[in-house]
Amino acid sequence: MIWLEGVGCERDGQVVLDTVTMGVARSELIVVEGAVASGKSTLLEIAAVRRLPDRGTLWFAGRNVLTLQQASLPFVRRNIGYSAPDSLLLVEDTGLANVALALAVRGESASVAETAAREALTLLGAEELAARKVGHMSSGQKRLVSLARAIAGPPPLVIVDEPTALADDETRQKIVSALARVRDSGSAVLCGTAEASLAQQMVDTGGRKINLADGRIVGASAVELVPAFTPGPMENQGGRIISLEVDDGDEAMTPASRGPA
Amino acid sequence: MRAAFILRTVWQHARTHRREVAFAGLAFCLLAVVVGVAWLGTRTVGRWGSFVGQNVHVIAYLTEDADPDVVQGLTDLLRRIPTVVAAKTVEPALALERLRAVSASLGNDPKSLDGLEAGYFPWSIEVNLAPASDLSERALDLARRLRGVPGVDQVDAMTTGLARLAGWVKLGRRLGLALLVACALLSLSILAVVFMRSRNASQARAKVLLQLGETNRGVRLPTSLWMAGTALLGGATGAGILAVGWRPLLARLERSLGIMAPVPLPSLSGFEILGGLAVVLLLGLGLGYFATPLSKVGEHA
Repeated sequence: MIWLEGVGCERDGQVVLDTVTMGVARSELIVVEGAVASGKSTLLEIAAVRRLPDRGTLWFAGRNVLTLQQASLPFVRRNIGYSAPDSLLLVEDTGLANVALALAVRGESASVAETAAREALTLLGAEELAARKVGHMSSGQKRLVSLARAIAGPPPLVIVDEPTALADDETRQKIVSALARVRDSGSAVLCGTAEASLAQQMVDTGGRKINLADGRIVGASAVELVPAFTPGPMENQGGRIISLEVDDGDEAMTPASRGPA
Repeated sequence: MRAAFILRTVWQHARTHRREVAFAGLAFCLLAVVVGVAWLGTRTVGRWGSFVGQNVHVIAYLTEDADPDVVQGLTDLLRRIPTVVAAKTVEPALALERLRAVSASLGNDPKSLDGLEAGYFPWSIEVNLAPASDLSERALDLARRLRGVPGVDQVDAMTTGLARLAGWVKLGRRLGLALLVACALLSLSILAVVFMRSRNASQARAKVLLQLGETNRGVRLPTSLWMAGTALLGGATGAGILAVGWRPLLARLERSLGIMAPVPLPSLSGFEILGGLAVVLLLGLGLGYFATPLSKVGEHA
C-alpha cells in the first residue's frame, strides 16, 4: 500500500528522520514505537502525505508521490485516514458531521457517509458523540471523533499517531480492537506510539512492531519490514483505492522500476 | 455526489454562520443602494442641468396682433447682438405642448389641460445670453430695451432665479462627485469587512477539508457559492428598494424645489438592474474565492 524508501527529513538544521525505509501492505498493521522526539510523528506525517520528505521516495498505490503535481496530492490524501493529536475538527458541527465529512470528500453520498460515520463511532464506543457538537466535547472525546474520522469507510490506508493518548483503559482496548478490525477489513494500518504497552497490545492482535530511535529504524531490515509489499498498480493487488485522479510530474517513474524485489 | 456535497456544504455554512451570511447580504444590499443612488444621482443632476439649460434669460411676449414677419425680423435682430447666444421664436402651439410635457413629467393628469386651446399662449421670443458675471444687468438692460419695441407686450428678465438655480446645480454636481468618492470608499470598507469576516468563517473548514484531501477548488467553491448567492440576494433587494422608492422620493423633492424638467424622472432600467446584478454576482464569487485561505498541506513545514 505504502512504501517509504530512504526517507530523510530535517527541521531547523536537525535531522528528524534519517534514511528510513519501510512499508505497510494491505491487511497489515504496523506499530511504530519510539520515545518522544524519535521522529515518529514526522514519519507518520510523511506516510500520510501531510508533509513531504527532504530525501527519499514515497510510494502510494504504485505511484511515486514525490513526482506527482502538487494539485494531485489531495487525491492521494483522501485515500488515507489520518489522525494525530493536533488533528483539526469543525467545532460548530456534530461528531457525526465531522466523521462523515471525510467520506463526503471521497465522493460518498450523504446517506452512505452518515452510515459509515456512525459505524466508525460505534466501533470506538463513541456513538453518543454523534449528535454532540465538537465544541462541547472534552479533549478525549474530540480525539475519539478524530480517530473515527480516520477509520470511517475505512480508507485503504489508516495512519494514527498516539491514538490512546487521552484514553482510559476501556477506551484504549476499544481503539486497539477497532484498528485491528480495520486491518482485518483489508486496510493497511500504521500506528505510532510512545507507549510500550500499547505497542505490545497491537502486536498481540497480530500487528508488527518497528522501533524508531533518533530518526532511525532500530533492529529490522527493510525486507523484513515489508514482506507483503509489491510495488505496482493497486488494482493488481486487489486494493480498494477510492480515486487516484493524479497527474504525474515530468519526472514520473514507472512503478515497476522502483521498490524492493 | 460531489455537486451534492458542495451544495450541502454551502447550505451547512449558511446555517452555521447565519450572522456572517446576514452581514454579507446586508453589505451587498447597502452597496447596491449606495451605487444605485450615486448612479441615479448623477443622472438627476444632469436632468436638473437640462432644466436650467432649456430655460432662457429673457422672454419677450408679443401682442396678439403681432405680424409674423415683424416677429421674425425682431428675432433676427436679437441674434445679431454679440452677447446673445440664441434667440428663438416660440409658437403658441409649441408653448402649449411644453406645458403638457412638464405636467406629464410631474405625474399630473394630461386631461387637466384639455381645456386649453392652441391660441392660449401668445407668440414669444426666448433669448439666451452668453454667460458672464454681469448677466443679470445685461438681461435687465435687454428687457428694458425690448419693452419699447412695437409689438412687444410683456418682457420677463429671469436672471436672478436662473442664476440661483444654476448655482445650485453646480453645487449639486460637486456634492455628487464628493458623494461618489465617499460611496467608493464606503463600498471598499464594506467589502473589506465582508472579506475578513468571510475569511474567518471559512478558515477552519478550509483547513480541515484540505487535510482530508479536498482540492483547492473544492475548498473554495462552497464559499464562493454562498457569497455569490448572498451577493445576488442582497443586490436584488437593494435594486428593489431603489426601483420602488427612488422616483416617488425624487418627485417629491423636485416638487418642493419647483423644478419642472421636460425629461422623465430617472430610474433604473431592466438592463441596468441585470447588469448590476451580474457585477454583484461576480464580485461575490471573487470575494468568496479569495476569502478562502489555503494552508500549505504537504509542503515542508
